[in-house]
Amino acid sequence: MRTLLLLLFTTAAFAQTQAAPLAPVSTAGYVGSNACKTCHADMWLNFYKNPHFKSIAGGKEPPEKTGCEGCHGPAQKHVEARGGKTTIPRAFSLMPAKQVLETCLDCHGKDLARVNIQRSEHTKNDVACTSCHSIHHSPTPKYLLAKTQNELCYTCHATARAQFSMPSRHRVNEGIVQCSDCHNPHGSFDATWRMAQRPRMMDQALNAESPCIKCHIEKRGPFAYEHPPVRIEGCEICHSPHGSMNAKLLRRPVVFSVCLECHNGASNFGTRNNGVPLQSSKHNMLDPKFQKCTTCHVAIHGSNADQFFLR
Amino acid sequence: MKKTYWMVLAACGALSAQQVVAPTGEQVGSVRGENAGNYNITNSFELGYRWNLVGGSMEEYRSDVNYRNGLRLLESSFSMNSKDGHGRYFDQILLNTTGLGNDPYEAATLRIQKNQLYRYDLMWRQNDYSNAGLTIAGGLHQMDTVMRLQDHEFTLFPQSHFRVRGGYSRNVQEGPMLSTSLELDNNTINSSGLPVFANLRQSWNEYRVGADVEFAGFRFTVLHRWDFFKQDTPYSAYGIATSAALGVPNDETTIQSFTKAAPIHGRNPGWLGNLVATHKRWAMNARISYLNGHNNFALSEFASGLSRFGTAANRQIAVLGSANRPMLTGDLNLSLFPTKKLTVVNNTSVNNLRISGDSSYTDIANGSNPGETLYFRFLGIRMVTNTTDVNYQSKNWLGIYGAYAYTDRLVRTIESFSLPTFANSSESDRYENSNHLHTGTLGIRMRPWKPLTASVEGSIGRANNPLTPISDRNYHTINGRVDYRTRKLQLSTAYKQVYNVNSPVSLSDFSSHSRNYSANGSWAPKDWFSLDAGYMKLHLDTVSGLAYFAGISRPSLQSMATFYRSNIHAANVGVRYAFRKRADLYLGYTITKDTGDGRATATNGVTDPAAALFASVQTFPLSYQSPLGRVSVRVSSKLRWNVGYQFYNYHEKFGVLGYYQNFHANTGYTSVTWAF
Repeated sequence: MRTLLLLLFTTAAFAQTQAAPLAPVSTAGYVGSNACKTCHADMWLNFYKNPHFKSIAGGKEPPEKTGCEGCHGPAQKHVEARGGKTTIPRAFSLMPAKQVLETCLDCHGKDLARVNIQRSEHTKNDVACTSCHSIHHSPTPKYLLAKTQNELCYTCHATARAQFSMPSRHRVNEGIVQCSDCHNPHGSFDATWRMAQRPRMMDQALNAESPCIKCHIEKRGPFAYEHPPVRIEGCEICHSPHGSMNAKLLRRPVVFSVCLECHNGASNFGTRNNGVPLQSSKHNMLDPKFQKCTTCHVAIHGSNADQFFLR
Repeated sequence: MKKTYWMVLAACGALSAQQVVAPTGEQVGSVRGENAGNYNITNSFELGYRWNLVGGSMEEYRSDVNYRNGLRLLESSFSMNSKDGHGRYFDQILLNTTGLGNDPYEAATLRIQKNQLYRYDLMWRQNDYSNAGLTIAGGLHQMDTVMRLQDHEFTLFPQSHFRVRGGYSRNVQEGPMLSTSLELDNNTINSSGLPVFANLRQSWNEYRVGADVEFAGFRFTVLHRWDFFKQDTPYSAYGIATSAALGVPNDETTIQSFTKAAPIHGRNPGWLGNLVATHKRWAMNARISYLNGHNNFALSEFASGLSRFGTAANRQIAVLGSANRPMLTGDLNLSLFPTKKLTVVNNTSVNNLRISGDSSYTDIANGSNPGETLYFRFLGIRMVTNTTDVNYQSKNWLGIYGAYAYTDRLVRTIESFSLPTFANSSESDRYENSNHLHTGTLGIRMRPWKPLTASVEGSIGRANNPLTPISDRNYHTINGRVDYRTRKLQLSTAYKQVYNVNSPVSLSDFSSHSRNYSANGSWAPKDWFSLDAGYMKLHLDTVSGLAYFAGISRPSLQSMATFYRSNIHAANVGVRYAFRKRADLYLGYTITKDTGDGRATATNGVTDPAAALFASVQTFPLSYQSPLGRVSVRVSSKLRWNVGYQFYNYHEKFGVLGYYQNFHANTGYTSVTWAF
């Protein structure tokens, strides 16, 4: 019975306004949250700390938008049956992901951060709201996450956990960087870099730019001399943003490998369509000073002074 | 009820297991808190001392770990909640901090809100990190770059149909960064460019004002932002760099005095408009955003010293100009729900970006002034994407989805320059590169049994003219995963591969294959025991066509195919054991190891000097591991004593270009967690 009680309210939705395609629920049969707390006292005791308590505190919402029944539907049959998960109109642990999503979007669908949720990778793969949010037992201070954010994401994204354990990495495990600094788990607009279709789920800086420049402000420009691939293909053409075994999150252990893989003069590439320029004929790769390209090309992300990024 | 409470707590403790030993994850005090008037308060602080002992490369330790000795407020949390939702000035205050008191990673979040009236959120972060020199290792690590970020967001009437919001963000960075490279012999590539690190300071401030209005099932959002960027680098130094110190033979280049100022002041005002509507059978979302970036810049640089032949030399460079970047982005997203089982989403995105800049450049070497050169460059990127997604839930346990997307991108460049000392020297060149990408995706997901889910997805892409030899051209991806989740046991495994081939001509041989396998498990059979474990393998092999100049006496053009191989194995395990609710023990281990391609030596027996150089960087085997242990003892209902130890070992098998940065570090902490 205790397990049943826990399950009963471990999933729910949020509260605000609006109408969306919901599972049909009768407008009659609402009994009010006071009836719920008779049996579910453990839920009720701490519910005033829950963001959804606003729907009760406001006192102005209609019954179908208020408290327990705002998410779970009218409880009359459930009360008459003296409990039972199947008598709850919307028992989230029994609902398909699509229905969970629709229920939550009933109130949360108009938030700007969630306007692309229908085309998000999570939605396509049946990762619904209650996969990540624990409405009644969240250990996090905000957003009702089921776990701390990085552990929550690692649950499915094991590769990301490994990447953030590499020597060169963004400090996610240390708590200074969050996954949601760069990603929007609710779906995002198309990227404005690369060929738009990938990467997906990126949270864009200033609504339209790569999230990297939120922190790395000096690389944002505009520069008189942009390094075209940075702007066109995005930072990840040279860097592995989660983590890398190489310094500076680079995709290769040394800079010249990164540079020469593009700067090989092969035709049909580059902004001029006739090849990404070769290095100068005076660059002797056997001379150690030419093995560290960015010793001289210091402003490789873009320069205002030099078309070859020397200062 | 009490047992349930402990089960929840135990689960939280296990699931929040982190890969850094502190702060302590275990709860102290009652989650129910204390009542004070109409408010309930919870409050806890973890105060402790960190220590470290490092052997080997301290620079690499600072770049990778960076925990140091000292007293820390490792973590704190405070909450104050109105019990009836009708507080006088606020209904909720939440304050959480991490690492305060000189940890390299410090953060604080604050939320204050009153139901229906306002909500205020603050996030503050400070990252004190080692900014490795851009030259990749080689000892050019620089310490104590500090990045401070703060975000403030204020919303008025957060639950109403009309909301007003305002925000402020600030990002400040200061610390040594590679600033410039200077050759004292102008126009001769044979002189050494000497790197100069300057104590750079830069700041970015953003102000936002916006509103949301809901009417007739639509919501309209408008947001206006202003942001300002400033970078000021006044710098002067004496006797700062020599070629000899960098190990360059037969070169006497020495910078004896150096001054530089390179101020950049920029602004980036922008607008965002968004219209959303959701109905039973359809939903739409339209967005338009406009940003107009602008930077003014100047640079003055003067150096004196010795040329490569040891004669007195000086050089002065002056630059003045500005750069602009207007950017217009629009999206229209239509979702249709013709039946309960079917969702169709069509999205069109248009993005137009134009970057233009003019820069005047004057370079005076040893008193010789060739005159001012004016450069102008334009980079325009226009991109249109249309995507259609179809998602069909045929049964409760079976779903299918597919997508087709098309992207058209045009990159246009205009370059011109003039030398005023030569009449009619102006040139203007225009170039275009267009690329079309078609992609198709098909996926299936199944849930044959409530705790078991499985999904497979395949995607294929074809582009006709990618920008670079390593960009996506002909690629496919395959993703698959299986998850089994019950309350006590969670298992998951996943596979992902990405193959990309981009070799339209022989020289640009490029193919990249990555295969990624992972498996995770989490088992919590009792409230006093839990086990988490995971393994991942990431295989990458890449073939690239290189062209470069090399030679013992005179460099000549050479080309070769290079193979880069990486085989990364990563594993982590964590065990938590609670002894009679009195003490908690946590043991964890993380290892990440790149086994490379299995070769015994860096050059793999290649004797040709140039080929040996490239062979030595075709793989980079190294291991990075970190075992940790932590004990947390419950002294009283409101007090815990904690102690932890974490070991780090970083080991490069070959080093980078023969330079090794291996280190090992013993770190630990002891702390007291107090709730009151």
